[in-house]
Amino acid sequence: MNDLERFARRFFLQSGSGFSMGALALGCLQRRIEGSESIAQKGQSDLPHFTPRAKRVIFLTQSGGPSQIELFDDKPGLQALAGTELPDSVRQGQRLTTMTSSQKQLIKPAATKFARHGQSGATVSEWLPYTSKVVDDLCFVKSMRTDEINHAPAMTKFLTGHQIPGRPSLGAWTSYGLGSENDNLPDYLVMISKMQRPSDQPLYDHYWGSGFLPSRFQGVKLRNSRDPVLYLRDPEGMPRELRRSLLDGSSQLNELRFDVTGDPEIHTRIRQYEMAFRMQTSIPELTDLRDEPEEVFQLYGPDSRRPGSYASNCIMARRLIERGVRFVQLFHPDWDHHSRLTSWCTARCRDTDQPSAALVTDLKRRGLLDETLVLWGGEFGRGVAGQGKWDSPEAGRDHHPRCFTMWMAGGGIQPGMTYGETDEFSYNVKENPVHVRDLHATILHLLGIDHERFTFRYQGLDFKLTGVESSQVVQAIVNS
Amino acid sequence: MKCIAYEIPAIDIHPSWVLRFSFALMAFFGPSSPGQEQVQFNRDVLPILADHCFSCHGPDESKAEAGLRLDSRDRLLDAISLDNPEESELLRRVASSDPEVQMPPPKSHKKTLTSGQVTTLRQWIQAGAPWGKHWAFEKPIKPLVPSNPYSHPIDALIAARLERRGLQFSARAEPHTLARRLSFDLTGLPPANAWTDSLKADWDVASYIDQLLRSEQYGERMAMWWLDVSRYSDTDGFQQDATRTNWPWRDWVVDAFNSNRSFRQFTREQFAGDLLPDATPEQKLATCFHRNHMTNGEGGRDPEESRVDYVIDRVNTMGTVWLGLTLGCCQCHSHKFDPISQTEYYSLSAFFNSIDENGKAGGEAKPYLTYRSSKAERVLTTARQLLNDRKPIEQRARDEARQPFQSWLSVQRESLRRADFKTWHALEATELSSSEGTHLQQGTEDKLIRATGPNPNQDDYRIGSVPKLSRLAGFKLEVFPDERSSSGKLSRGATGEFILTDVKAQIRQIGSSQVRDVSIVSAIADFSADKKSNDNYGDIKDTLDDDPRNGWTTKGAPKDTSHIAVFGFAEPLILTKDEEVVIELRHRSTLGDANLACFRISWTDQRGEAITKLGVPPLEQWGGMPPEFDLETQPTLHERLFEQFLLDYEPYQAPRNLLDRAKRQVTELEKAAESQKVMVLEERQEPRETFVLIRGVWDKHGEQVTRGAPAAVLPWSETFAPSRLGLADWIASDDNPLTARVFVNHLWQLFFGQGLVRTQEDFGVQGDVPEYPEVLDWLAVDFVENGWDVKRLIRQIVSSHTYQQTSIASNEMLASDPDNRWLARGARFRLPSWMLRDSALSIAGLMDTTLGGPPMRPYQPEGVWEELFMGRFKYEPSEGPLQYRRTLYTFWRRSIAPPFLFDTAQRRSCEVRVGRTNTPLHALVLLNDESFLESSLALAIAASQNHQVPPEQLNYLFSAVLNRKPTDREQLILQHQYQRAVDLYEKSPELAERFLQREQVLVPENLSVVQIASLAAVASMIFNLDEAMTHE
Repeated sequence: MNDLERFARRFFLQSGSGFSMGALALGCLQRRIEGSESIAQKGQSDLPHFTPRAKRVIFLTQSGGPSQIELFDDKPGLQALAGTELPDSVRQGQRLTTMTSSQKQLIKPAATKFARHGQSGATVSEWLPYTSKVVDDLCFVKSMRTDEINHAPAMTKFLTGHQIPGRPSLGAWTSYGLGSENDNLPDYLVMISKMQRPSDQPLYDHYWGSGFLPSRFQGVKLRNSRDPVLYLRDPEGMPRELRRSLLDGSSQLNELRFDVTGDPEIHTRIRQYEMAFRMQTSIPELTDLRDEPEEVFQLYGPDSRRPGSYASNCIMARRLIERGVRFVQLFHPDWDHHSRLTSWCTARCRDTDQPSAALVTDLKRRGLLDETLVLWGGEFGRGVAGQGKWDSPEAGRDHHPRCFTMWMAGGGIQPGMTYGETDEFSYNVKENPVHVRDLHATILHLLGIDHERFTFRYQGLDFKLTGVESSQVVQAIVNS
Repeated sequence: MKCIAYEIPAIDIHPSWVLRFSFALMAFFGPSSPGQEQVQFNRDVLPILADHCFSCHGPDESKAEAGLRLDSRDRLLDAISLDNPEESELLRRVASSDPEVQMPPPKSHKKTLTSGQVTTLRQWIQAGAPWGKHWAFEKPIKPLVPSNPYSHPIDALIAARLERRGLQFSARAEPHTLARRLSFDLTGLPPANAWTDSLKADWDVASYIDQLLRSEQYGERMAMWWLDVSRYSDTDGFQQDATRTNWPWRDWVVDAFNSNRSFRQFTREQFAGDLLPDATPEQKLATCFHRNHMTNGEGGRDPEESRVDYVIDRVNTMGTVWLGLTLGCCQCHSHKFDPISQTEYYSLSAFFNSIDENGKAGGEAKPYLTYRSSKAERVLTTARQLLNDRKPIEQRARDEARQPFQSWLSVQRESLRRADFKTWHALEATELSSSEGTHLQQGTEDKLIRATGPNPNQDDYRIGSVPKLSRLAGFKLEVFPDERSSSGKLSRGATGEFILTDVKAQIRQIGSSQVRDVSIVSAIADFSADKKSNDNYGDIKDTLDDDPRNGWTTKGAPKDTSHIAVFGFAEPLILTKDEEVVIELRHRSTLGDANLACFRISWTDQRGEAITKLGVPPLEQWGGMPPEFDLETQPTLHERLFEQFLLDYEPYQAPRNLLDRAKRQVTELEKAAESQKVMVLEERQEPRETFVLIRGVWDKHGEQVTRGAPAAVLPWSETFAPSRLGLADWIASDDNPLTARVFVNHLWQLFFGQGLVRTQEDFGVQGDVPEYPEVLDWLAVDFVENGWDVKRLIRQIVSSHTYQQTSIASNEMLASDPDNRWLARGARFRLPSWMLRDSALSIAGLMDTTLGGPPMRPYQPEGVWEELFMGRFKYEPSEGPLQYRRTLYTFWRRSIAPPFLFDTAQRRSCEVRVGRTNTPLHALVLLNDESFLESSLALAIAASQNHQVPPEQLNYLFSAVLNRKPTDREQLILQHQYQRAVDLYEKSPELAERFLQREQVLVPENLSVVQIASLAAVASMIFNLDEAMTHE
């Protein structure tokens, strides 16, 4: 509190001009001062380490492990090998889950047809017709790798760098490191597609948690309900003007307490209540898509009209980016297709194909793609062997950590590129492997952060997102 | 076994804190000037080596670069020259700026040494490189207490140091502040306000402390802390997150604290209650501590991998909670900083490796203790009482409905007589479309919808309509064999069988781009194929789950007869003028080629039997009777009609819902009052062999190990039994240098917001060096000397002036010691969020103080569980007084911690230091959570019942929450806010009415709505004051 304000408050309160005048005037004065002061969170002073290519990130997380074999990684040679046993020389002792460890590993060729698209000639499956149209804006990494074979540990590693919960998520690191550019919204927002079917893999909140970083860096989940943020809505019968007045009242009382105790934490608290008040307006405004033109819904597809759908969340992601939010993460569950690939996997493709492509198109035409890094992918891939009888329509695929495909766009990523290659079984990476750690290093790099120097001390150790094993920035996919 | 302990000191440094003390003071008064003081190994040198060198030249032999280790004096001698210190390789390296020579090397991203640090190393080598142990591994010795005016040893120790700094203690906190602090710290609840009002400066603090320590709420407060530490939860965590019934263990913890179990006994029972001679059921129950870890039943996971995880979790938890060591590091490799080898780590794991467990989750996670809690009965009695209270209310509402029922009957009779009465009204489509190209056409007379044209393998049909009914309770789908388009079969597919995978309903505002889903909750059909023999297709209910791998087919029934399915909405839909409803029929089955050929959809406005049964609903049946029919002669039909009436009779709904909820609560608690399966420890017949796990991987066995403990802490000896009991004795041995210190620090952290060692989880070389090690050691030794008596230790701490100081800080003090490390003032920090809820309920007079029993569910926003699990778990808040139990009893779903608790342990793994942050999300909880709103209202009611005029009522609210009277200025602000609220609510009293609509708290009829609402608004503001939520 500055001297002027202190004086004004004393003056009003002591002048005997009546409490309501005095307090009222104080309320106005205080709001003016608060309003001119940014309440956004600052980042770390030594960041960025160098000029960032991306300012913001949208992570389209496909939970469950989409099949690279059906969607991106075309292996025409498998047709001839259909139903034969996967050679041990390829499998090399790879662990299986107990769902398939007792059955023979018989090769099941892709259930789809592939074609090459765009000027870049990228290979994409017929199940993704819209993605096929934007391939020249995307960079496919076909040589992703992880170490985990079960969902929760793999997703935890994919998003926090370590398989055991407790580390900060990628978004939390980013928010902690770079701070916020926004006075009205949290810096890291998470949205989960609303589905009817109970998901087999719950999305734990440590996936967007802050781990050992202060909890203000954890992702805030935007829910698809009347309260997009928990407790956002004031109770019935609490009009805005009364809420405003009560906040002014509590600020005044808190200021008096500050005068007594001198604890600076009180001022932080006043600011946080102010931010809460602003969010009560900014978030409903954000989530109300009525101001979007019809043409936008056509672009993102019919599902975008349904609030809570992946498609609707993609529109929301773009709105958040427009408002300067640093990190937006979408989760689309149910990619765990152990059976019936043709009905099940196509259902998830239908949910996500058009809106994902539309998001890239939409960001690009608004000039936002250059500074926004878009990522699409899940925690692992799927194996070449059929689960169940390989040639029955019942068949699916088990988890596979040794290779999977992701795509990226914008934010300093080389467009129209395919990076990395797997063997003829889409089983092992043959060329240019990209471990999940390398992905993290690359994302940080694009944000202007050297992953080696970006640490947080906890329990006596300097932790970093990429952990103790070595990891590299994948320079080849960075647009120079 | 390889043992990596520090070498025996070459020069014996007596680790007396008194000696270290003078160095610390010198360190404070200025940068150390060379030659003036002796460098001390464990304080000055070891931290430099650990921070900058140990990760490559430390206890982890496998990582020892160039074979050099600096954690042992012998090995370090390779890098220094005692005869000619300046020639030491170590000094040359750390002082160099040549990247080829420099240590730590640039690629390690470790910071280079400062010139001061290099000087320290030089002086130390010049002094002959004396050796010693990290302080925390030395057994604590009771330091000499300086003589000064302070009689309490803690105070005397701290005062002496403050004096050297030119500082002194702050004055004792004001009586009401100190009473609040003590009450929150020892019971988690605020003091009774009436009592603090009368406090004088010379009040009897000591007997107040005793009174608090004697109260049952003490045990609850301590248990809440212990539950966080213990990662206690009511569910497994991970995929299925199944419920477990381990809550009797939670009550054991409360009891252990209340009966002041010594910490040694507390430890022994939790580690090995089952191994005690003549173990009682409660002692066996205690071992649940080591079963509180998450359990993973994820499909496809090897249970053995999970079992190994649980063993590891126990070792790590023990390390963090009791020893303050980051043992988890040793799972993959020997510790990089502390003298603990990977072998020693797995030797510890051997104690936990022979539990008779199987790595499973859900209800199969043996071993279990069958235990019947005596605490459940009282909770059940409360629930039954509530049910009994609600029964007559429901009955009365039912009786009162009889009269309106009669007039309803006459209205219905009129409408039934009209020729157009129908249960079902055929849908007239305003829009027919498909995703993949099928043509849909509706017949003008029969309203049948036929599919023609292209016949794609899979397709979604969309049927839009604007029904004329005033409301829609559900719809009927009739599937017909179609002569015209599919030669008399039910589908257009080759087999003639249809498969409908999903059915959806949406509402679209005409002209708007957005739609909303309508929840269909019931589906019944006249025939459903057997799922097992039809590739998982058959059940009509599967059309509601958005899963194309299942759905409805009538395969097995004749293909040439029609079939019926009826779908019911959760609530009847009432469309506005510009809305239309769209029904979507999805055919997305695996094989496809099974799309409907000909069907009809009809609407009904009737709830009840029309949509839940396929027979004739009561109204239609009555309508079909001859005109002379007397309803009284058919009591069954009469009652069916009455039930039909009640469904829509508004005044009946609330009493009925309340009754149903009370019934469900009783049913649930009756189960809880029976014997429960509690997860406990039990040894298997044949012990398992234990191995080092290479790089921590569960099935990569290295060398075999036997049970033992890290020698650097306290060497294992024959006096300890080779069992969990022996391990407990080793941990709680008087000779263990860590356990007592770590425990003292836990308590200090609870009462000061920060431990003496700030890193509660790490007392190792990389941990925080305490400002007042002598205070830690004095308390630790005193604790051990007095039989590990917990209440006594707490009394020691809170009786000190150090604890009782005011937290008001001068600007100078804030500037020189922002984190209050010197303890020249009291601690000021935000209370844990669970205390804020308990405090509000207690102040409002709502709290139910029943001790123990099954968990309860506080209010939380709708849909939090349902969203995460896509509806698999439903959250229903507890009813009646049980809603107001302490937060300790909250049902804890591990995958989603209670949303009203912020900055809380997540209880996935052991957490001993929970952060304290200050975010807008916390503000929103305290402003808008129902528990706080109800408390505000209940307090407002109490204020208006106790006082007549607003100024007094406002003062009452204020002092009820803050335990002090408002100052004049504060009164002005309160009155101003109150007046603003009154002005607003007088203008719109309906707003006041709505603000008072809370879950359970009712406003007495004689009170003014505007006044109560205004008081409640101000009360809520007071609950949100910084002072209200702060430990001052």
